[in-house]
Amino acid sequence: MIDALQFEFMRNALFAGFFASLICGVIGTFVVVNRLVFLGGGIAHAAYGGIGVAFFFGVPYIVGTLGFSLVAALVMTAVVLKAKSRADTFIGVLWAVGMAIGIILLDLTPGYNVNLMSFLFGSILAVPNSDIWWMLGLSILTISSAVYFYRDMLAISYDDEFAHLRGVPVNLLYFFFIGLIAVSIVIIIRVVGLILVIALLTIPPFIAEKYSNSLLMMMILSTLFAMIFNLVGLWLAYTFNLTSGATIILVATGGFFISMIIDYLLPSDLGISQG
Amino acid sequence: MSTPIVEVENVNFSYHGLTVLEDVSFSVQEKEFLAFIGPNGGGKTTLIKLLLGLLKPDSGKIRIYGTSPEKAAHRVGYVPQDVAINKAFPISVLDVVLMGRLRFHGKTRLSKFDKKAARNVLAELEMLDYQNRRIDDLSGGQKERVFIARALATDPDILVLDEPTASLDTTGRTELYAILKEINKTKTIIVVTHDMMVLSSYVSSVACVNRSVHYHDDAEITEEMIQEGYHCPVELIAHGIPHRILKTHEDEP
Ligand SMILES: Nc1ncnc2c1ncn2[C@@H]1O[C@H](COP(=O)(O)OP(=O)(O)OP(=O)(O)O)[C@@H](O)[C@H]1O
Ligand SMILES: [Mg+2]
Repeated sequence: MIDALQFEFMRNALFAGFFASLICGVIGTFVVVNRLVFLGGGIAHAAYGGIGVAFFFGVPYIVGTLGFSLVAALVMTAVVLKAKSRADTFIGVLWAVGMAIGIILLDLTPGYNVNLMSFLFGSILAVPNSDIWWMLGLSILTISSAVYFYRDMLAISYDDEFAHLRGVPVNLLYFFFIGLIAVSIVIIIRVVGLILVIALLTIPPFIAEKYSNSLLMMMILSTLFAMIFNLVGLWLAYTFNLTSGATIILVATGGFFISMIIDYLLPSDLGISQG
Repeated sequence: MSTPIVEVENVNFSYHGLTVLEDVSFSVQEKEFLAFIGPNGGGKTTLIKLLLGLLKPDSGKIRIYGTSPEKAAHRVGYVPQDVAINKAFPISVLDVVLMGRLRFHGKTRLSKFDKKAARNVLAELEMLDYQNRRIDDLSGGQKERVFIARALATDPDILVLDEPTASLDTTGRTELYAILKEINKTKTIIVVTHDMMVLSSYVSSVACVNRSVHYHDDAEITEEMIQEGYHCPVELIAHGIPHRILKTHEDEP
């Protein structure tokens, strides 16, 4: 692996994994504690509609996907805030419609054929420098928002009614955070693919939740877990010449089951510190 | 009598056309200890949400400190009926209480002073030792104290509690009401309860909430309230407790 670092593609893959872990650790924690995994999936799939829009209308890829996912995300948020109980159905519809629009528009685009595999699993071993910069910028945005809004984020996630009574602009922050989720998903999909985004958003926070007694600790642990999965996955993929995205996901899943087994063998909640 | 701090006038409220509260009028004085009693589904939680500005009346007027409930919300500390049920959420006791310091006097950032204030209320409620514990590791009664601490951390003038004793045993209830009585020296308290034991010894007034609201400015349950059992929950009478309260009432000059 060390000798592999002489290749720029390998260095970029590590950077991409590093930033994706940072972003997913923070955003994924918000997604998991707010039970927004389905909404995240909806946004990610709606992004496919954005790819279709980008190619059909000849607008830049990032504009198409970002625009499409942001609009989808904001509509979904409005529905979640208005009618929580019906939100899952609505998200399911947008999820399907987004993908269908993407595929039809690509059909209608003459001469171009996007590789669906690269959308699903990304191409972490072929990340251009420009994407690394995008991810760096997004990491800074995500982490500074999380730091600045940490207390508000905690309050709206735990008890939004109480937060509202204290004068926290709950709905505005909700839109902001879901917008941030949409932006993160779009940029990370380009690098690591749709399936890996959802895996990185959910698996590390899920494991971290059990060992954390604060949201901050959960974010830090999730980021660490995600980084370990990325590193191990990349190393295995490189050594055995496997598809990197799928390998990372299997490593993450392995981590998930190991944590379940550890919990099973140690029934007392040793993991949770008593402060 | 001084001007009331809470004024409710001819308030009607319905959920999707289904009337829950009808022509409700009453007022609350400074330092009053008011209990809302009434059967399940009688509209107690709804009434509290109206007072907090979380719901808007269909008609009628609610004034808190002479202004709208929304504008007065920062002066009211709220202990909800059920907080984050079944939510496996990684949050410490101290962080929950610190929620009460959000936007304190309009500030957007928390300071060392806020942490100190949060620890002080935890200490008052004898929960300081638990400050770093995850809240879902606590017992029902301990959680209840934490939510009261969170409400007190907002330094409210009115404390509103929705069934705070529901998960407590007899000792827990007695302790909690002792704490509330202490708090009542400086703050107005409105509490929803099914706990008839407390009526005579702690509260200063009772309102029976069952679609309509009947306000009684002494805590005793009067003869006509029992006769018209319709106003108050039937189990009240069945338990026989009111008779004892009634007796003490008759004993009085
Ligand atoms: N969000 C809602 N939408 C529609 N109806 C509601 C809603 N919340 C409450 N209700 C109805 O309004 C009525 C009053 O409910 P409320 O929660 O105020 O009762 P409560 O007196 O607090 O009862 P409990 O003692 O069980 O807490 C009930 O009939 C209930 O079914
Ligand atoms: Mg209720």
